[in-house]
Amino acid sequence: MTADFGIKIEGVSHAYGGGQSGLASGTLALKQTDLLIGHHEFHALLGPSGCGKSTLLYLIGGFIPVQTGSISTQKGPVTAPGPDRSIVFQNFALFPWKTVLENVMYGLQKKGLPEAECREIAQAHIKLVQLGGFEQAYPSQLSGGMQQRAAIARTLAVDPDILLMDEPFGALDAQTRRVMQEELRMIWKKRPKTVVFVTHDVHEAVFLADRISIMSARPGRIEHQIDTGLGPERDESTLTDRRFVELGEQIWRLVREQAVLASRGGL
Amino acid sequence: MSTLSALLKREGLMQALVLAGLALVWEASSRAGWVHPFLLPPLSDVLVRLFTDMQSGAVFVDLGLTLYRALTGFVIAAVLAVPLGILMARKRGVQWFFDPLISIGFPMPKIAFVPIFILWFDIYDTSKVIMITFSCFFPIVTATYSGTSHIDKWPLWSARSLGASENQLLREIILPLAAPSILTGLQIALPVGMITTIVTEMLMGGSGVGGAMIAAGRFADSVGVFAGIMEIAILGMVVIRALDRLRARLLVWHPENRAH
Repeated sequence: MTADFGIKIEGVSHAYGGGQSGLASGTLALKQTDLLIGHHEFHALLGPSGCGKSTLLYLIGGFIPVQTGSISTQKGPVTAPGPDRSIVFQNFALFPWKTVLENVMYGLQKKGLPEAECREIAQAHIKLVQLGGFEQAYPSQLSGGMQQRAAIARTLAVDPDILLMDEPFGALDAQTRRVMQEELRMIWKKRPKTVVFVTHDVHEAVFLADRISIMSARPGRIEHQIDTGLGPERDESTLTDRRFVELGEQIWRLVREQAVLASRGGL
Repeated sequence: MSTLSALLKREGLMQALVLAGLALVWEASSRAGWVHPFLLPPLSDVLVRLFTDMQSGAVFVDLGLTLYRALTGFVIAAVLAVPLGILMARKRGVQWFFDPLISIGFPMPKIAFVPIFILWFDIYDTSKVIMITFSCFFPIVTATYSGTSHIDKWPLWSARSLGASENQLLREIILPLAAPSILTGLQIALPVGMITTIVTEMLMGGSGVGGAMIAAGRFADSVGVFAGIMEIAILGMVVIRALDRLRARLLVWHPENRAH
């Protein structure tokens, strides 16, 4: 049982703009955050904007250095970015000079796999996200939803232990967003991974996650943790499920509390 | 779509007609004696001279020398300036050291260094090429530096989380992301390099289009001088068009090439 965790976050605080930037003291984004995310758990981080949920995600990703406290995975403490913790961003962050196929192959090539194998794995993942036929397209030729599918394929192809998602559907229109949510949940069922999904959309969090952390207004902390208990199957019928509706309202109230605090803090 | 291409064709035709009209005015003004033919020799005389020089091969020797000097200087400048611009954007120490030097050098009229370069490197090709490199260097390094500094962190973070090392990041991600800015820098530098080539040839002599023009001037051969102007115009147009083509080919992925 001791090793059966996905991500362990202990006493993590993070300040921006301190030190040399000339500010007397930096802005505290995270304060004494503790969080234990289970192995192959789909975990959503929910909170008002500016609460530090993205900061926490970037710390897990190793993109910004841990200042205080510690973050560790099965591979040990996090010190730098790596393909065991791959990420999907809101703005897709595809490589615009590479085709869809080349984008998806990139991480596989970094692993040193032979070219033919890279191509094969990449193609399988392009099919998985239903982008078959667009292998040779450049990102700028694709719609937002298709670009995000490509980005998800690129991230899944390297088979990370942990999948980090930073408001991945935030830039998509409502219909595309809904479709992508269902597909993500389906893909996750086929290939279980530890997922940390940052969002400020309450229903998105409830629909996707097994467990939800609600963060406090800045400086961020984990204020509440809720098991959705909606079971592994999520589809159209989940949306009308009594539990889904109730959870949505309950969580919305908790998030709203923090959002109100955040807006007062801003005055 | 077909109407658009027809319109474009028509526009191209109109532009050609305007050029032809101007050529006609040129020809007529000296033929009719409005302007003294020594000050402005008739276009037809200039074209005949170009043709005979082409037959004798003299044009190609001059054009070849000019092109060789211009491109050598330009390529050396690019090879030095692109990596330096990228390093300046990525490494604080490099930026700290070079930024003041480039700030001073960029606005300076590089051609003012000609006497110094003649003193140091003599008047032959080495000296000319160094002069051309020197004047091409600044626009390229500035454009590369600014383009690289404005790259989003997201694709860089993506690459890192896909397993790219710091060195792979530079070559495989940062270089292509900065490519549009780098190419813009090259497109600014190329005409600067052409100008510098002609001027150094005029000042230092030794064949090339610039040298040939000065020689023609010394012999009061105004047709020869105007033939030189035509050669420069054609050469400049060809190399700049070639670089435009190169840009379009390298940046096929870029939205700027989504014309269809």
